Amino acid sequence: MKKQLKTSRGPGIRIGVDTGGTFTDFIAVFGDERIAFKVPSTPQAPAQAILIGLERVFDALAGWKDASGTKTSQVKMEIVHGTTVATNALLERKGARTALVVTEGFEDVIEIGRQARPDLYNLSVTRPEPLVPRHLRFGVDERVSAEGVILAEPGASEIDRLVKALKKARVESVAVSLLFSFANPAHERMLAEALSVLGVPVSISHRILPEYREYERTSAVVINAYLAPRVGRYLKELSEGLAGSFDKRRFTGLRIMQSSGGSISAETAGAEPVRTILSGPAGGVVAAVRVAEMAEIRDIIAFDMGGTSTDVSLCLGEARTTNEAQINGLPIAIPVLDIHTVGAGGGSIGYVDAGGALRVGPESAGADPGPACYGKGDRPTVTDANLVLGRFAGGGLLSGQMQLDETRAAGAIDRLAAQMSAASSEPVSREKAALGVIAVANANMERALRLVSIERGHDPRNFTLVSFGGAGGLHAVALASALRIPRILVPDYPGAFSALGVLLSDVVKDYSQTVMLKIDPSIEIDRGEIDRGETDRGKSDPGSMIETGFRRLERQAAVDLRREGFSAARNKLIRSLSMRYQGQSFELEVDAGADFAASFHSAHAERYGHCDPRRPIEIVSIRLRGIGVTEKPELRTSRVRRVIKARPQREASVFLSGRPKRICVYDRALLEPGTEIVAPAIIVEYGSTTLVPAGWQARIDGYRNIVIEIGTA
Amino acid sequence: MFLFVLSSCSLWINSFMDSIKLEIFRSLYSSVAEEMGVSLRRTAFSPNIKERRDYSCAVFDCQGRLIAQGDHMPVHLGSMPMSVRAAIEHCPMEPGDVVILNDPYAGGTHLPDVTLVTTVYDSKVSKKPLFYVSNRAHHADIGGSTPGSMGSATEIYQEGIRIPPIRIVRRGELDRDLFSLLLANVRGRKEREGDFAAQIGALEVGRARLLEIVERYGFREANDYARHLVEYAARLMRRRLAQVPDGVYDAEDFLDDDGETDTPVLIRVRIEISGESARVDFTGSAPQVRGPINAVEAITVSAVYYVFRCLIPGEVPASAGILEPLEIIAPAGTIVNALPPSPVAGGNVETSQRIVDVLLKALASAVPDLIPAASQGTMNNLTIGGWDPRFNVEFAYYETIAGGMGARPSADGISAVHTHMTNSLNTPIEALEYAYPMRIRRYQIRRGSGGKGRHRGGDGVIREVELLTDARVSLLSDRRKIPPYGLHGGEPGTLGQAELIHPNGSTKRLPGKFSISARKGDRIVIKTPGGGGCGGTPTSGRQD
Repeated sequence: MKKQLKTSRGPGIRIGVDTGGTFTDFIAVFGDERIAFKVPSTPQAPAQAILIGLERVFDALAGWKDASGTKTSQVKMEIVHGTTVATNALLERKGARTALVVTEGFEDVIEIGRQARPDLYNLSVTRPEPLVPRHLRFGVDERVSAEGVILAEPGASEIDRLVKALKKARVESVAVSLLFSFANPAHERMLAEALSVLGVPVSISHRILPEYREYERTSAVVINAYLAPRVGRYLKELSEGLAGSFDKRRFTGLRIMQSSGGSISAETAGAEPVRTILSGPAGGVVAAVRVAEMAEIRDIIAFDMGGTSTDVSLCLGEARTTNEAQINGLPIAIPVLDIHTVGAGGGSIGYVDAGGALRVGPESAGADPGPACYGKGDRPTVTDANLVLGRFAGGGLLSGQMQLDETRAAGAIDRLAAQMSAASSEPVSREKAALGVIAVANANMERALRLVSIERGHDPRNFTLVSFGGAGGLHAVALASALRIPRILVPDYPGAFSALGVLLSDVVKDYSQTVMLKIDPSIEIDRGEIDRGETDRGKSDPGSMIETGFRRLERQAAVDLRREGFSAARNKLIRSLSMRYQGQSFELEVDAGADFAASFHSAHAERYGHCDPRRPIEIVSIRLRGIGVTEKPELRTSRVRRVIKARPQREASVFLSGRPKRICVYDRALLEPGTEIVAPAIIVEYGSTTLVPAGWQARIDGYRNIVIEIGTA
Repeated sequence: MFLFVLSSCSLWINSFMDSIKLEIFRSLYSSVAEEMGVSLRRTAFSPNIKERRDYSCAVFDCQGRLIAQGDHMPVHLGSMPMSVRAAIEHCPMEPGDVVILNDPYAGGTHLPDVTLVTTVYDSKVSKKPLFYVSNRAHHADIGGSTPGSMGSATEIYQEGIRIPPIRIVRRGELDRDLFSLLLANVRGRKEREGDFAAQIGALEVGRARLLEIVERYGFREANDYARHLVEYAARLMRRRLAQVPDGVYDAEDFLDDDGETDTPVLIRVRIEISGESARVDFTGSAPQVRGPINAVEAITVSAVYYVFRCLIPGEVPASAGILEPLEIIAPAGTIVNALPPSPVAGGNVETSQRIVDVLLKALASAVPDLIPAASQGTMNNLTIGGWDPRFNVEFAYYETIAGGMGARPSADGISAVHTHMTNSLNTPIEALEYAYPMRIRRYQIRRGSGGKGRHRGGDGVIREVELLTDARVSLLSDRRKIPPYGLHGGEPGTLGQAELIHPNGSTKRLPGKFSISARKGDRIVIKTPGGGGCGGTPTSGRQD
């Protein structure tokens, strides 16, 4: 699986590792050399698969040299890792025995949540249990006002009592979240210092998320505390395992992918594991943006269809983050890539409901038993539907390494067809049922794509769909059709795309501070300058307050990035503001330039269709993103000198609609840049299959991407 | 070309497409409703809409039948179609017109809920409306004698400004005169103005999305499937009713009082299940009362809709079809179908909950494995209004407070959660203290307040509010005298309570329904009811 690839003068060998539910993916880059492969994951001890895979990398590396003839044994080595340890510990509720310290009288905030139930019409509805049970929540008699004024200070004897109680409770981790700590963190600092004697990780709310809304902030800091011991232990073991297995002088370090699309040191990730909850899917989005950028495409929708779910993310030249994500009913208000997930994937199960509608998912056959065609299950899935329609072109999965049981798939789909026949007036054939399963699954995925695009004011006609993940290639073009997306890009190695993504990530540290500054529009809009405004509360000058705030965050960022190994020359600091109209509750993020007010009004108009420049506005938070710019492998281009007409390897009989049709099948590994492919066609490769229906044109570009565009005819 | 999959399929599998396209259109129409909701929430100004999400958005077909509604507030479900019907009947709409209304006696529910309706026209397709879209939001004040418009009253005229169906936007132009008249009659004018703009903006979003659907699929198909969705929901409801044993199921329960006298107010129902249909008859319920807890018919219909919708597991399109197999009888002039000029502020929020309690109690003998004991049965509507000295503006704060959920036949009830006809969020303390001159002193679960039983009722909540300025405080609540019932031998939940604590420490018990003038430094403590228990064996301590 060697692959040509040019790097800028990098630090040596760089290895991307992405742990998934079924496979752990690897990409290693050294000079012009590159290797990518999958090994089975070891969910009980994820580090094991990593060490096995790395052995394989080193075997391959032995013969490599870079442009100057340097051998691999003489260079430094760095690993970037996308991990699911935090996610799984949270989903399976296998975190630490955690205590929560809060303002007295508010011990139940994490249990009450937002007082709503997750499902309106379900009398058996349940809410997720809080991560900290009542007897491990401790109140402290203290209070800070909305303005940051101290109303009651915790006494020394009370803090002593708290420390004793926590010792007695034998907790493994502590979270501290006091009301209005973002406005004045003095009391949280005081407690952090006092609790350090416990010798367990202490997570402090104003450090993890210095923003208003007590439930969401407390939830973030509690998740962090709950995960800190386990993730810290995993990363420590992995780091030690790596250092032990390999030459210490050469191993420069381990970085971890964050949910926000940047990476951080293993040490930081261990202390702030809440930042790694979406570590896995983030890699794919980062890679999608980068690959598109190389191909000179700015605006994309990343589309990652896996076995049980599909992740979609809209990126305008860069990956976007959100502060409103949830995992299993628990809010994570820290910035994470804005990835929308729907329960539709290759393993989603089709059935007919009581009212006679065909439904697909969210129940999935998963990896075990898997789709009927994997040989164990009996229920019809999307993969089975694709198989009976001949859309795998007789090739099986993983380039034929995994054979599929067509008879079993046909049996499952036939049973569904019988149910559909009973529900409608006419008999339904096997192929009709299979096409139906695919149409409904596509409708579910279409809704996700619509939600991130049209519902947020973006016209899909201006976007390119970047499709990766195992199951996406068979559905991408149909979805693009439905949404009028004119172009699809299927990158090289779509199966190991997230591993490439973690390698392409920068080191990113996010900082924020809630400031709640009101801005008088009559002054601001006319002059367009930050430093002329006045606030309603007191006469402090917002321009200088913002500047002071940003400088403080920048000092912190510089210190933290230096600790991660980035000098000022390799740093980028980006300022932004969270703004809203005074009285609103949801913010828009705009650049912190001099004309921030105008930027806000136009952002509001773009997002919601209206704005009112006369209305007073408000800066809720200042935000700083500190970026340590990493060396990135460059994707090699081959200049496309001439158009090559593709020659099919064979033909296969495929149902695109009601009747089977002979369709040309191509092996992607044999397609050189510049190749043009006449639709309809099926392109097979290791880990993915792409269907190009009539009306579209496909070509291989200089980066070996498959680019599929709507026909001009 | 764009519609490759769908158009190529439709060439040969017309009849079969039903089950597939049904699902596709269900997704499409409900995403229109959801998208309107997102737009409304993100652009609204009052905490009650943006933080607590006290609103609903819905899509109606060309005949004004409900085809999709966002999962926001159950109490709006059955009642929004009546608003749209009233708008269509009383106020012919040209393209670009928006009708506004809140009159409970002409399509509304209670005055703070203001509904906007507009048509979706496409002159290329038809001269008639293709769809209607509507949204409803609970405004934190709509005028009347108490700030928050949820206080004591004996006539609807004391409850705020009453808006019959009228056009607030004509051919795309806001009627400024009418708008000024409206804003002059409410407290917190600026906030109201912003909220109305958000509501109008959200309608625009819905209209644009529906036109896209028409462009993509053609109106004929879009309309056919709107009809199919209604029929589909009706089919699901009929199948479900067929599984419920035929029979006559009776129940009754009471509201504590109407806030004016001490008399308990009876609600009685008889549910007759026969085959695939049901008859729900409220004959025998109390006559309408003097205080503000009268329900108009729309609310009773919503409560019935909610309860029967809960019988069907899984997703069901929120369409008019659900009501088709149900016959509802609510005699005029009673507590469940009041006539003007009765005050109705609490009908929506309190009486609706009791109607649900009664319906569930009746069904508990029909489907005992499914039906929970009584939940808190009130929304604990707290309104505080006055002058905010910090910004020199009027303020009106409205909040409903969660309580205990009734125990289920196989599980405890959830604590501190909104149940049945509401699902509005709380206002974050850190948002509230910033926006209003108040301080929250305590926000806790009221441990042990759930009814005992094999499965315990969920616990209520304690919320303590300190006033930082003089203010008018109103509470509209129930289950202060007659507790939420237990089932199958489970004990009832603990009654709710309210008290006023003066800065000097003296404490005064307050009734379930009051409007008082309170002073700076006073603290209001609200303790909400626990849910009823389920099953006879006493419980040991709850795991927490």
